[in-house]
Amino acid sequence: MVYKTITTRKKELPLQDDSSNLFLQVMISIAVFLFGVTLAGVLSINSMLETWNNSILGSLTVQVMPINDVNEEQAKAQTLAQQEKAVELLRAKNEVEKVTPLNNEQLQKLIQPWLGDGIDVKDLPMPRLIDVKLKKGVEVDFMQWAEELAQAAPQASLDNHKLWLNKLIKFADGLKLLALTVLVLVVLITSGAIFYCTQTSLGLHKYIIEILHLMGAKDTYVAQQYAKRTAWLGLIGGIYGLILAIPTIFIIANLAKQIEGGIISEARLSFLDWSVIFSLPILSMVIAMITAYYTVKKTLEKFM
Amino acid sequence: MKNSNYPDSIIEMQNVGIRYGQGAEVLSDIKLSLKRGSFHFLTGKSGAGKTSLLSMMYLAQKPSRGIVNVFGKNVNFTNRDALAMLRRKIGVVFQDFRLLDHLSAFDNVALPLRVCGMDEREVKKRVTELLQWVELEKHINAPTSTLSGGEKQRVAIARAVINRPELLLADEPTGNVDNDIAAKLMKLFVELNKLGTTVVIATHSDKLITDFAYPRLHLQNKALRIYRPIDVLNSGGNHGI
Repeated sequence: MVYKTITTRKKELPLQDDSSNLFLQVMISIAVFLFGVTLAGVLSINSMLETWNNSILGSLTVQVMPINDVNEEQAKAQTLAQQEKAVELLRAKNEVEKVTPLNNEQLQKLIQPWLGDGIDVKDLPMPRLIDVKLKKGVEVDFMQWAEELAQAAPQASLDNHKLWLNKLIKFADGLKLLALTVLVLVVLITSGAIFYCTQTSLGLHKYIIEILHLMGAKDTYVAQQYAKRTAWLGLIGGIYGLILAIPTIFIIANLAKQIEGGIISEARLSFLDWSVIFSLPILSMVIAMITAYYTVKKTLEKFM
Repeated sequence: MKNSNYPDSIIEMQNVGIRYGQGAEVLSDIKLSLKRGSFHFLTGKSGAGKTSLLSMMYLAQKPSRGIVNVFGKNVNFTNRDALAMLRRKIGVVFQDFRLLDHLSAFDNVALPLRVCGMDEREVKKRVTELLQWVELEKHINAPTSTLSGGEKQRVAIARAVINRPELLLADEPTGNVDNDIAAKLMKLFVELNKLGTTVVIATHSDKLITDFAYPRLHLQNKALRIYRPIDVLNSGGNHGI
């Protein structure tokens, strides 16, 4: 039979030879790289906010300011006495689960990122800090507690972290918004590049497309060929972009850890976060495919 | 091939005019009704508008004015998908063949079947048989860019008839082949016509027109006149062809 000797079917539209393929693949790689790194940033900020919220909710800090006196030893003793009174008052509260006055070593650790190792807290007029952990789900009248503390230990003040946490949350939300804007821009720019490359390719292959139309091909027949080709470019470009993004995320995370200060180190990417990042090549494939498909459909509407 | 859903006329044109850009009309006030199962030659001097008229028939062009109905549908009010479905019933042999040179003879002929989504085994069976019939079985895998003019023409004709079209439009289909092949191809067109295919062949060949006594659509001075075989014989077979 003659038809057993027929060679493999060639594609009617030789899209694999388009010169814009390499450009598109590189473009998608860069887009996925940027998207991946930015997305990791957004997800880290989310996890950081969650960690802050969890650690702050149900806890408060009491600060006992040092008493200024000519006699240094006496002043220290008076400050410690006020700390003791504050601890006693707090321990007597039903809502409180645990009261921990911070010792010199713990205070030393807190100031170490800013003042270095060479400073001894004993030599400094440092405020004494009391970490208070509240029982789960309890509601506290902070104003009432602040008044009671002021009576028992006039140097003590209550900080439920809301003020600085709100500032941090606002800052983090701003960063998140900025990152999300970058993500949207990356998607728009990539879709735009796919749109123009597809239009250029349609112009290049106009002759073939006209023949296909005259043979009775619907626009979807042409659009599907473009969608398949662009999806493949999107997938391969996406994989390259991801390969570049993963080590970059680890490098940035490592640099962030070195900042320390107890804030950045709270950022963690969960298994779900990593799953989202690893699915980026699929996302780039789908976006590329849909963009190419609808570009072809819209452009061909201008043909007869 | 007959379908009672369609009117008796495969193509109807009323007061049709075609102009390109802001230029003068190349065809004016064309009135035409091609009956199902008819066979016509289309004649006229070069530049008379034969290709323009054919391109309206195979739905590559809409009229600048007037009404064109193909298979009973007004092409001005038919959506793109419906136009594609109408084109599947039309086989076209182009004067310049319009083959896809990066594809083999087989893939070119298979094109109309594949765009319809036909099963690949059936495609292979049909295309192979037809390429054997047009004596191109040796070139089945050859890219059409390597074929001679006559071979290309046979590939183009095979592509036009592979789908057993209801309407076959051919622009100079025997222009590049020797007399034996030309006779064989004409026999194919006649056989298809007997099976119900409506055929329109644009030609400059006096021999074809005198050998086959079919009516002639003649374009002259932007207008269309129809000559029945008796008119052709009476006028000595020459109407400015």
